[in-house]
Amino acid sequence: MSDIVIDIADVRKKYRGGVEALRGVSLQVPRGGIFGLLGPNGAGKSTLVKILTSIVRPTRCAGIMLGAAIGDKATLARVGYLPEHARFPEYLKGGEVIRYVAGLTGISSADARQKAGQLLEMVGMQDWGNHKMGTYSKGMKQRIGLAQALVNDPEIVFLDEPTDGVDPKGRLEMRNLLQRMRDDGRTVFINSHLLGELEMICDSVAIMDKGEIVRQGTIAELTEKSRRYELKTRGTIPEELKHKLIAAGAEIGGEVISMVGSDPEPIQPMLDALRAEKVTIVELREIRQSLEELFMESVGAGGVGGTQKRSTPPQLPGKELVK
Amino acid sequence: MRQVMTILWDSYRLLAAKKLFWIVLFLTVLIAMMYASVGFTPEGISVLFGAYQIESELIVEGSMFAEYLYMMIFTDYLVPWWLGFFALVLALISVCPIFPDFLKTGSIDVAISKPMSRLSLFLVKYLGSLLFVAIQVLVFCVIVFIAHGVRLNAWNLEIFWAVLLLTFVFSLIYCVSVLTAVLTRSSLFSLLVALLVWGVTLSIQWSESIMYKATYVMPASGLSINMKTGETKEAGEELNTSSEMEKFYGIVRAIGMPLPKTRDATYLLRKKVTVRGKNMTMSSAFLEDEASASELLEAKAMEDYDNRHSVAYIVGSSLAFEVFILGIACFIFVRKDF
Repeated sequence: MSDIVIDIADVRKKYRGGVEALRGVSLQVPRGGIFGLLGPNGAGKSTLVKILTSIVRPTRCAGIMLGAAIGDKATLARVGYLPEHARFPEYLKGGEVIRYVAGLTGISSADARQKAGQLLEMVGMQDWGNHKMGTYSKGMKQRIGLAQALVNDPEIVFLDEPTDGVDPKGRLEMRNLLQRMRDDGRTVFINSHLLGELEMICDSVAIMDKGEIVRQGTIAELTEKSRRYELKTRGTIPEELKHKLIAAGAEIGGEVISMVGSDPEPIQPMLDALRAEKVTIVELREIRQSLEELFMESVGAGGVGGTQKRSTPPQLPGKELVK
Repeated sequence: MRQVMTILWDSYRLLAAKKLFWIVLFLTVLIAMMYASVGFTPEGISVLFGAYQIESELIVEGSMFAEYLYMMIFTDYLVPWWLGFFALVLALISVCPIFPDFLKTGSIDVAISKPMSRLSLFLVKYLGSLLFVAIQVLVFCVIVFIAHGVRLNAWNLEIFWAVLLLTFVFSLIYCVSVLTAVLTRSSLFSLLVALLVWGVTLSIQWSESIMYKATYVMPASGLSINMKTGETKEAGEELNTSSEMEKFYGIVRAIGMPLPKTRDATYLLRKKVTVRGKNMTMSSAFLEDEASASELLEAKAMEDYDNRHSVAYIVGSSLAFEVFILGIACFIFVRKDF
């Protein structure tokens, strides 16, 4: 079994009227993790997912999903999908929606009934399965949406803005469900512009802007360059030591000493030297660029692969090592 | 097969969730029960399960005329007017939003991202929408069938042709609504366009029918009409047809040829159901033995009128229209980006 579930190259989509939604997207999605596709509104995220789920016909598309060509209908039996602004028939009950989607996937009636019960329980809707969709809140509808996306035991689940319009408690529950899906070995492909949400759960991400992928990799890989350690001291640092620290690659600004890099080893002699000079160390933090900053850098005013940089060092998120 | 059954079952649930479906069904049952309340006694006709009696010498229990009348009420009044017109309009109002709702973003996505071809999805959804009429007419026909069996001891299964024919007639109008829905995703617009097309085709069919009567039936019945005064004269023998009228009729017929024959298809029921082995278009067979020559002439002319279009012409040209319209709708649906 391949470790890559989606491998596409040069996917293009030009709508009638000349709007170019995708301009040669190439993407690889690893198996069994949560993959986040980020991008501003109109970046082409939904179009890409719709091409992968055969809802939109690509102008050009080379590549495979689950070992078959993109657009292969039979492969869709192994795929789950929750569209953005999903609308399910209001005359159906929650459980019936799941069974209806199961039927469309070709699952037998008996299996669908059993599966619907399990999924309702999984999404915390077991007490609401016999109520009509019209009586549900947005969050409850999303849960049913998630359940229907899982009814065929999919290997890949596409979720387009799954937490859009869901309250904070619902989002937390949704995150837990997504992690459970990953633990079950599924590949979860999320489209979202809620970067904080994705940062908490995604194993890898791709950033899309104006129909192109501008960055792709694990969050650790993408934020590698921005990683640094920051030391907050109290008291005066002797001038001689300051020179030594600067010579070792540190930047000193008032009582804050910064060291660029993800390796904590170069920090150790620095700490020893400060201790030796009786400088009080108030705080030591590992700092890396947040997904939001990475995103803004990628799609900022500089356009595709934007080069706009922040003038001050980013502060979020930080991981305190010593305090 | 499982996918097909899922969509059909969902179509039924969708209809069952509509109040209009139950209102129309209630009215249909009511009208069918009123029909069933008519019976025949040795003295004449009984109405409302014997509450009223209408005396008649000709139409009495066991007579062919009683059977003919009973069937004629069904084929010439109830089917064309209630089932074939009022119930059909209500069905159209109820069913028109199905495709626009189905095609809305967030709704269509789930269905077409499943391992089922778009063509199958479209066609099964279309067939599922026809259930509204099929169920209504089926219920009506069951009551009529039982009424005929109990009242006349004639268990006539040909009555069920109405289910097929009226569902077909509805499909001829509904396909226009579906095409409009695929193009616009608007319920209101698809209803209006379907009603408009239906209205136009009905007008042309009525025109053709009137023209045929004026051109062929009246001369064949020995009747002539003064176009200036409107005065009608009975010649007592078959008259020649006017070539000008024939030409004009030919034009009207040609205009109507590519259009769906909703009215004619509804009246096909008269050819399909029989009373004592004779179908309802065989007017001369149901005349009294003492019928006059002019009555016989008129009946023969009406027979000719009722059979002026062959079944193949009515069904074939209507089906060609439906296939054409549905083909365009299907082509767009299959290729559309949602």
